[in-house]
Amino acid sequence: MKTLKILTTVAIFGLAVVIGVMAYTNVENTESESFSDQESSTNTTAIKPPVKSKGYDIGDIATDFRLKNIDDSMVSLRDFPDADGYIVIFTCNHCPYSVAYEDRIIALDKEFKTQGYPVIAINPNNPESYAEDSFENMKKRAGEKGFTFPYLFDAGQKIYPQYGATKTPHVYLLKKEEGNNVVKYIGAIDDNHKDANAIKNDYLRDAVNALIANEPIKQTKTVAIGCSIKA
Amino acid sequence: MMKRLIILISLLFVVTACEKPVPQTAQLIDLEEFTKITTSNSGDKVQVINFWATWCKPCVEELPAFEKLQAQYGDDVEVILISLDDEENLEQLVNPFLATNEIQSQVKLMTHPYAAEWIPLVDAHWDGAIPVTLIKNKTDKRFYNQSFTYDELEDAIEPFL
Repeated sequence: MKTLKILTTVAIFGLAVVIGVMAYTNVENTESESFSDQESSTNTTAIKPPVKSKGYDIGDIATDFRLKNIDDSMVSLRDFPDADGYIVIFTCNHCPYSVAYEDRIIALDKEFKTQGYPVIAINPNNPESYAEDSFENMKKRAGEKGFTFPYLFDAGQKIYPQYGATKTPHVYLLKKEEGNNVVKYIGAIDDNHKDANAIKNDYLRDAVNALIANEPIKQTKTVAIGCSIKA
Repeated sequence: MMKRLIILISLLFVVTACEKPVPQTAQLIDLEEFTKITTSNSGDKVQVINFWATWCKPCVEELPAFEKLQAQYGDDVEVILISLDDEENLEQLVNPFLATNEIQSQVKLMTHPYAAEWIPLVDAHWDGAIPVTLIKNKTDKRFYNQSFTYDELEDAIEPFL
């Protein structure tokens, strides 16, 4: 009986060792495959994907809209006759990147509203895809955070595709020129969503300041990670 | 005798644990490693590199398709899931997510927060919305700004095999 137990122990131990070795070898293989063959990288020929040309580019005239604000009023860009332009930001409740930028968006509005560039925030998401982005939840979040700017609901998801917004947050900086709202900057708020104190490039602030100073914007299009908009 | 029994029981545990593949935990990568993975070529396998995050609903929805691809084409295809979750969420969000969903593909987590420095490395047309996927072999690569079903993934890897 004792012998049997010893035998079983030995057998199981052997099996465990074999399995362990197999698992280890497997890991080693995967590792070496992912980092090998560096020198052939220059031979890569990219197959061009079909380029999507939806939405605005720099210099395009942006459409006005009439969307419901969190105070139940309807808001359009033309409701701000004194503005020199607008900081239109597609943003929402559910996205951690949007949440990370809430305080910075409030600060931008406070800084630039008085200089002619108010923030207009638009939630482009369909609440059926993201319950957190419902109109009721927008009111709640705006109240909690003390939003100083209109937070509009893109009911029916009709406005964001015209602008070409793909994610939240996604900024369109507009300037009034001869009665038209001309797109001057598209992209990110800044280059570090995690830490406002570690920003290397303050893209949006620099762009608005350039418009105010009547100087060219250094970087008119920037990229950042964001949450895909869901219709 | 008691000691042997304990050894036996613990070994049984080891064997049982080995029967089911252990879910991945995310490996942290910096800008240099990210650049290597996304811009250089692998060995003989087709690399399917998916950019995702636990907070990204469409990303999470398409993960099973990538898992199935890894399971079905593992001999020819290497699926790499690059998480864009914040590093701070590794232990509380990302690894538990991988365990719950029993993710078997390898997972990396990008720690370099300045996305504008690495988004263009992946593709000039990527504006940062996820999910996106990069498929490449030794000679070709293609960037997909879309969500995938398993059938679509099979079609997409076909020219690379």
